Amino acid sequence: MEIFAEHLRKDHLLSKVDARIKLLSALSLLGMVLSYKGFAFPVIITAICVFLCVRMKIPLKIFILRFSEPLFIAAVIVLLKFFISGRDGLIDGILIACRIIGAVSVVAVLGFSTPFTEIMSALSWMRIPKGFIEILMLAYRYVFVLLEDAMVIYNAQKNRLGYCSIKRGLSSFGTLAGSLVLKAFEHSHNITTAMIQRGYDGNIPAMKHKPFKLHDIAFSVILITIIGALWTI
Amino acid sequence: MRFQISNFKFQIFFLLFTIHYSLFTASDAYAMHISEGILPFNWAALWSVISVPFVAWGLYKLKKLSAVDLSFKPLVGLMAAVVFIISCMPIPVPTAGTCSHPCGTGISGILVGPAISILITAVALLIQALFLAHGGLTTWGADIVSMGVMGSFAGFLTFKALRSMKINLAVSGFMAGLFADWATYLTTSIELASGIKGDAPFIPLFYKILVAFIPTQLPLGILEGAMTAGMITLLYKKRPDLLVKMRVLKPEEVAA
Repeated sequence: MEIFAEHLRKDHLLSKVDARIKLLSALSLLGMVLSYKGFAFPVIITAICVFLCVRMKIPLKIFILRFSEPLFIAAVIVLLKFFISGRDGLIDGILIACRIIGAVSVVAVLGFSTPFTEIMSALSWMRIPKGFIEILMLAYRYVFVLLEDAMVIYNAQKNRLGYCSIKRGLSSFGTLAGSLVLKAFEHSHNITTAMIQRGYDGNIPAMKHKPFKLHDIAFSVILITIIGALWTI
Repeated sequence: MRFQISNFKFQIFFLLFTIHYSLFTASDAYAMHISEGILPFNWAALWSVISVPFVAWGLYKLKKLSAVDLSFKPLVGLMAAVVFIISCMPIPVPTAGTCSHPCGTGISGILVGPAISILITAVALLIQALFLAHGGLTTWGADIVSMGVMGSFAGFLTFKALRSMKINLAVSGFMAGLFADWATYLTTSIELASGIKGDAPFIPLFYKILVAFIPTQLPLGILEGAMTAGMITLLYKKRPDLLVKMRVLKPEEVAA
């Protein structure tokens, strides 16, 4: 879970940019990457994003972890298209692979540069329903708690030869997953009690949005104009 | 000169070999999630539009139920965390000699119903897309439809149908997990084939993707079934009152 952005440095060049600007810019870039019909644009976007990751001093291990799965999928798509449609398929496959890497790079920069709570605040500004954001925040908060519980149960099972054969492994895995659901019920009961004691009436107070700063707006307009110009070429 | 391999069997063998060993033995496979950027703009937009009413239905149900029971919202949040963890857990696939991951939508469909389960899946998928690069923002809609909508409905309907025929809890749970997984895999194949086909015909590519995923997804479905059966049995043994509260069982079934 060290790959989560919360564990990364916060004093980089994108940390001072408003999360709403970063989210909107990322969504615009994703739209451009997906709708572009050639190789050049996604490659340029990837190069810019890799440069930003380097400037943000993202540890190499986390960078590789983040890109390994999409890179494998991109490689498989290229091979798949090649063996189905020959050379035309190969070109098609490389186009899709470029799109994958370009899009993954954009989301990686967004994830690496923006803490989770700021993304939630930006989503609420974008009028994403409050209920959805509340569930998202509760889920994110308790992923770490439940993960710790899961590790304790898993180690206890492993020490008692719970995974020494396929049959026992399956049974242990079912018990582990079931225990997590039980823990979820217990935690939800405890959280509700704690929240009611603090005045919870069914709604979690929403975060307040700061007004936009002029340099944030200027940054986004310049970025989208330059990249939009590249996209039209 | 156009490149062509004449031997069809060789093409199929090489295709299976490449997909199987480059994707699945190199790292944990995340075959249930369509990766960021695979789908072109129009397909990504279409799947997103399809997923919206289902997520809205989940939100409507959440609002209605949480107005009656204040603990419901925290419970849904924690169930989303459970689905997130389950769908990140690598589990062994004996026939493939590798690891893949279950969906967890079968059990959430059974416990909280398809509407809330879709919402839970959407939340889990968004966190994975933003911070782990499993799935993606552009393929979020497609992943919600395959894992959330199809997985939850397949799990929920299978479980309800089998329970109405008085089939025992473990078998019903197993079949629900199995069909939830296979429904997800089938829908993912449709989404993938339609997204990457280009000018090629859809059906042959769909069959090829379907066949290529069989070595991993077929046993994985069985494993997900076993996991769901294990979960539901454990809940029945330890906290049958919860199953009654979630309307999975009737009070008289627990008393019996």
